[in-house]
Amino acid sequence: MTAPAANDGRVRVEGLVKRFWDEGRGEIRAVDGIDFECVPGEVFGLLGANGAGKTTTLRVLATTLQPSAGRATVNGHDVVRSPESVRRSIGFHSASTALYPRLTAKETLEFFARVNGYPADRVPGRVDELLDRFDIRPYADARIDTLSSGMKQKVSLARTVAHDPPVLIFDEPSVGLDVVNALELRRIVAELRDAGKTILFSTHVMPEAEKVCDRIAIMHGGHILSVGTLEQHRSRTGLHYLEDIFLADLTGADVAAP
Amino acid sequence: MTPFGALLRHELRLLARDTRMILIAIVLPLILFPGLILVLRAVERDETERLDRGEYQYAVRDTAQARDLAELLERALTLPGDRPGARFDRARTATPDSALASGTVHIVAEWSGADTVQTEGPYRPGVTLRYRADSDLSRAAATELEARLLALGRQERDSVFRAAGFPADPGRVLELEATNVATPAREGGARLGLLLMPFVLLLLLTGGSIAAVDTLSGEKERGTLETLLTTGLTRAEIIRAKLLAIVALGLVLVTVNAANLVTYLVIGVLELPAGLALSVAPIDALLVLLLLVPLAVLVAGALLLLSGRVDGYKDFQIAFFPVMLAFVALAAPAALPGMELRSAIALVPVAGLGVAVREVMVGERDWLFLALAWLSSGGAAYLLTVLAERGLSTERLIGGAMLSERDVRGGPALFPYRVARWFAVLWALFFTVSLWFGDALGVRGQVVVNLIVLFSGATWLMIRWYRLDARQALSLRAPPRRAWLAVALGAPAGYVTAIGLAGLVDAYLLPVPQSMLEAFGEAMLIETIPVWQLLLFLAVLPAIAEEVAFRGVLLHGLRARMRPVAATLVAGAVFGLFHVSLFRLVPTAYLGVILATTVVLTGSIYPAMLWHFLNNAMAIVPTRMGWIDVSTEIPWWVYAAAAVALAASFAVLLSARSASPREERASPQGRTT
Repeated sequence: MTAPAANDGRVRVEGLVKRFWDEGRGEIRAVDGIDFECVPGEVFGLLGANGAGKTTTLRVLATTLQPSAGRATVNGHDVVRSPESVRRSIGFHSASTALYPRLTAKETLEFFARVNGYPADRVPGRVDELLDRFDIRPYADARIDTLSSGMKQKVSLARTVAHDPPVLIFDEPSVGLDVVNALELRRIVAELRDAGKTILFSTHVMPEAEKVCDRIAIMHGGHILSVGTLEQHRSRTGLHYLEDIFLADLTGADVAAP
Repeated sequence: MTPFGALLRHELRLLARDTRMILIAIVLPLILFPGLILVLRAVERDETERLDRGEYQYAVRDTAQARDLAELLERALTLPGDRPGARFDRARTATPDSALASGTVHIVAEWSGADTVQTEGPYRPGVTLRYRADSDLSRAAATELEARLLALGRQERDSVFRAAGFPADPGRVLELEATNVATPAREGGARLGLLLMPFVLLLLLTGGSIAAVDTLSGEKERGTLETLLTTGLTRAEIIRAKLLAIVALGLVLVTVNAANLVTYLVIGVLELPAGLALSVAPIDALLVLLLLVPLAVLVAGALLLLSGRVDGYKDFQIAFFPVMLAFVALAAPAALPGMELRSAIALVPVAGLGVAVREVMVGERDWLFLALAWLSSGGAAYLLTVLAERGLSTERLIGGAMLSERDVRGGPALFPYRVARWFAVLWALFFTVSLWFGDALGVRGQVVVNLIVLFSGATWLMIRWYRLDARQALSLRAPPRRAWLAVALGAPAGYVTAIGLAGLVDAYLLPVPQSMLEAFGEAMLIETIPVWQLLLFLAVLPAIAEEVAFRGVLLHGLRARMRPVAATLVAGAVFGLFHVSLFRLVPTAYLGVILATTVVLTGSIYPAMLWHFLNNAMAIVPTRMGWIDVSTEIPWWVYAAAAVALAASFAVLLSARSASPREERASPQGRTT
């Protein structure tokens, strides 16, 4: 692979390993040598059960965890050598990234645009634009702790893209959302993809992966079992539903394992 | 606005919007402190009045002299004491002791003079007053009755003097007058200086803890920490912004509460003790404020570090208590009477500042030691900030139970990360032993406990605990031959230059009190201990045990994570700190650096052991043999020659190093991470 060009909007992962230790179980390989690449205008899905290594992978990409081996670059920046540049290039959204209850919606967007280095003079205009795009204006000046979960979800998505990053990371974003909000989430992700963002999307919900992702990596036990578009997965296995494909891959992996 | 500016504003805004925090940390003390003072004052006034106008019952024990005693007491009670309003009534009881115990009688008087009132010779009555110190009334009765009896005694003595033709007024025998030359402002400063530190510390700890727990543990619990950590901010920026927010809150708290108390004083709700003026020169007020800044940062840093380490509010509450105790313990020495800033206390964080504040409040400005106190607390604050920053980078913060291999497996890879802790604990033990048991143990006892039990014991423990390779950890290798030549040349040179260095420190930085010099000289001279024993306890054993601990395990641990030069300097400084005397810090640290350098250069601990032995022997033998004493002057050319010889010695060591390629330059482990 050639050296990644700075600000190419791509996410590249090569031979990534993340080990950690547990006093009872000893060494745990949460991620065990995975490779993938994700390009602008694409939603790349990580599909797997709990403990497959999805969140660990995404946290390494978000620089909150350090890789034990292998290499990962985001938007041309190495996650180990220039973590700040990586973080300025991403919007990270997960079920565990909450909002500040004591801020208003507007202040939240302003804050995250500024701390991520969005040009200071253009912050008010950007916030204005986001308020409209995410339909937040009616409650722009209400404190987060007074908002409903649907409203919070919108603010949370808006703050993820506040600094207009080229790469977006969604770690199981639909956990705990009702049908309406889940649909809204999908619409926004599609919009962002169409705007040319590079999107990483992890989920354990098969129909969601089918609908949202352009390419899907099936993860299990820290490995990527297979990668491809839904069509590629179908022709490879001769199965129609992602759920069946997933199970077939898993069975294959278990049979293959010594 | 820069990202950092935005973050700082954000942190301050979050604090300002925490209504409960504002109420508890700011508003409550505003009401509580003056209220507490007012209530205490009122209670004290009532109490004094009650005792002044008290009606006290006294009993006279029924002995042969009971009548004489009763008469004596009645005469004494007609005299004015300290509480003229107090009234004494005699209670007639057959069991005075049980009456005293039950509280119906406040005092029991008993005859303890000569068996009878003598008709010839001097009149010698004696009275024992029995009272109960646990009862306010009984105690007050005893002091008052004592005062009146003493007044009676003086009256009797004067009449005896007069009868014998002495001047009637004892004042004419000895004119005595004590005049307070301190201005009321200085006196006020001395009292306020004593109260200021605990007051500020209390505010910083209470207010700061609420802010600190909210800003890190709170973020962790609410799930906003991961959001913050995935922004473009650096970990250092995040910690600094949070630290500044807590410091700002602390300073606001202190200012608001101080202003509040001053306001109450001005409008007269509270009053200062009579005759106490409060006026601090603006420069002193500024100095005090400047001295409080590192304290605020230190408290904020400690709380932030704690907040980052714990798993939530509940954990914080549990862990906060020992931290608070630690600060109280550090602040306490400043309140000890007679504590002076020009001592080792200046090097102790918090305590040094407390003494500094006291001295500034009475108008004394010892700039060097003010700077030392400021730097010691400031340095500690910086260290805590760096640790907090590192805490923010640990994966446990996000990943839950994630541990690294060295945490779980321990062993040699973990040792470099633990060596500082071991030596901190060792220092505390060493300090305690010297402070509390030094006199009881004597020189030989101290050497045995410190060198054999503490240093050698800890070294053995560290080697066992981390499964270290003793040969490697202690540099037990044969040195290049030329190293011995270097030691023979270097040890006397090092000793002489150390004396020169101590002289320079004494002349320009920190005059050593004469008493201390003499005490040190005496320790070397102890006539009761034979020379061979002095050599054994003060030269041979230190050369082995101290080398093994400081140039062995300590240096080994430091070198895995530091460059050789930094490791050498740190190991030397730690060695200096273990001599627990401010005046010996520089020369011993100097020796420590020299010895660490020989180990680094030769790869072997044996030359350093010999050097250490020779150095200590040179400090003992010539003095003990009476060849030289404290007043012996060393001519300048000897120092110059010693410096040259020392340089030559190191040149030999350096050449020996390049001549032995098999020597390991750095410890192989630890570098791999």
